[in-house]
Amino acid sequence: MIGTAYRVEMSKVFSKWRTFIGFIALGVLIPVVVAAMGIEGGQYLGFATQALKQTFDFTGNLMNGYTVSYIIFGSLYVHVPFLITLVAGEVLAGEATAGTYRLLLTRPLSRSTMVSAKFLATLTYTNLLVVFMAAMSLGLGIALLGTGEVVVIRSQITIIAENDLWWRFVLAYGFAALAMTTVASVAFLFSSLVENAIGPIMTTMAIIIVMTIISAIDIPIFDYLRPLFFTNHMNGWKFLFDDPVNWTKVSISAGVLLTHIIGCYTATQIIMRRKDILT
Amino acid sequence: MPTPLIEIHDLHKHYGSFHAVDGLDLHVSQGDVYGFLGPNGAGKSTTIRMMLSLIRPTSGSIKVFGLDLTSHRNDILRRIGAIVERPDFYNYLTARRNLELLGRLSGADVSTSSIDRILGIVGLASRASSKVKTFSHGMKQRLGIAQALLHSPDLIVLDEPTTGLDPQGMVDIRDLILELAADHKKTVFLSSHILPEVELTATRMVIINRGKAVVEGAVQDLLNAGRLKVTIETSEVPRALELIRATPLSSHIQSSTDGAIIMMMEREEIAGLVAHLADARIPLSAVSPVRSLEEYFISLTQEVS
Repeated sequence: MIGTAYRVEMSKVFSKWRTFIGFIALGVLIPVVVAAMGIEGGQYLGFATQALKQTFDFTGNLMNGYTVSYIIFGSLYVHVPFLITLVAGEVLAGEATAGTYRLLLTRPLSRSTMVSAKFLATLTYTNLLVVFMAAMSLGLGIALLGTGEVVVIRSQITIIAENDLWWRFVLAYGFAALAMTTVASVAFLFSSLVENAIGPIMTTMAIIIVMTIISAIDIPIFDYLRPLFFTNHMNGWKFLFDDPVNWTKVSISAGVLLTHIIGCYTATQIIMRRKDILT
Repeated sequence: MPTPLIEIHDLHKHYGSFHAVDGLDLHVSQGDVYGFLGPNGAGKSTTIRMMLSLIRPTSGSIKVFGLDLTSHRNDILRRIGAIVERPDFYNYLTARRNLELLGRLSGADVSTSSIDRILGIVGLASRASSKVKTFSHGMKQRLGIAQALLHSPDLIVLDEPTTGLDPQGMVDIRDLILELAADHKKTVFLSSHILPEVELTATRMVIINRGKAVVEGAVQDLLNAGRLKVTIETSEVPRALELIRATPLSSHIQSSTDGAIIMMMEREEIAGLVAHLADARIPLSAVSPVRSLEEYFISLTQEVS
């Protein structure tokens, strides 16, 4: 039955216009950024590596598809959660707003099956958006700007060879999928609590913003809280571009995100099982 | 004794100190068109939502098809088609697509041809490909009935099914309910504010008020029980009044006009009164005993209030 319920949910998700907002936004933004990087990316990279050029000689195609994809990945990471909450926040609350819980839950379909089907549909949408983002930025970047090494400038400078990049990008986008699934799970949980889709969207974004601000404030009392915030672990993908990769940090961040996903899903199941459908 | 299809025993639903349903007992037999009546806030919709497991009862038991709702929810819902209050749908989908998706979730093999047939029955065949957001309330109500019949259920629960329909639509739905019960042997649980609708379609009924059953039984038995409103039409009202006032029925006179006397009396008293007036050569053009469900409903709910 869950297979049928999942297919029905997917039909509903992809019949709504709001589902395509994310794809359209990324579909417009990524080509613009890639084109801009192709035209003026050399200056951007020159500015970033200005100090290094006094000591080292840089040769080869540094403004390439991989570099562009890495830059896009880092900057869109902040905005994609909003696109995801647009859909995830509406999955359950939308049924309450429309009054269609009455249609759905008077079918021979247990509430846990319904929640699972909706959660799977939300995950599918989220991951499709991440795959789309990866395909657009990597595909378009490589097609227009070619390939080459990536210069990663963090606390240390790492130059990653071309043949050492693919697996890092695959894992990084896998990690991004996990991080975005966490955002989707939080929105999904809030969606079960209210009867209006605006609430879960706003609340999830507010939580992300508040947690990010708290994480950025260097006050000792927040040191205890920071490791528990999922927002603090969403950037864990960056460790995959260290050399050598700090697998402990990657695993801890992935573990925290996964715990949040399981926690939100379980809480949603409990809430929905006890919920009286009054709309 | 026919097999009980719905058995509700000592059902309660409390919201804090408010008792929406307060010890309700119901028995609906197979083949009944069962009228479920009550004033606003009586607990009708709460009861229906509990029957369909949309709301968890505070206490009490609900059995449908002889199965306990808590432990056999899906088995029961597979055999029920329902409209609960407003007919809400996925507005961004067409009527046909709504039915296709709901049909898949109904656990029955609902074919495209059966969807088209049902859309035809409710008069929406020509709008099958229109998005529901373009539908009027009445059209959504018809679609609501279509989705309730989609998987050929044994029990059909209709909560205010004719709200928003035009007079012809109301007649169509009434005929459909009668046809479902008579020709297809379906059991219909009909909650309605439109009392003549229940009077014309239901075989049995219950009136609830403040979460409790006030009276339950066969519609005709209930309508025939107790005092009736009798209108005596005659061209000699003053003389007829004089005669009646001289009898023990004097206190039953409610009012009179130039051409009629209205009395409240037992059915058994009518023949004696008519004979008495006829013996006195009072010309009677009509004697009409009436007990409408509306009057009965109001009298009962007012008594309880």
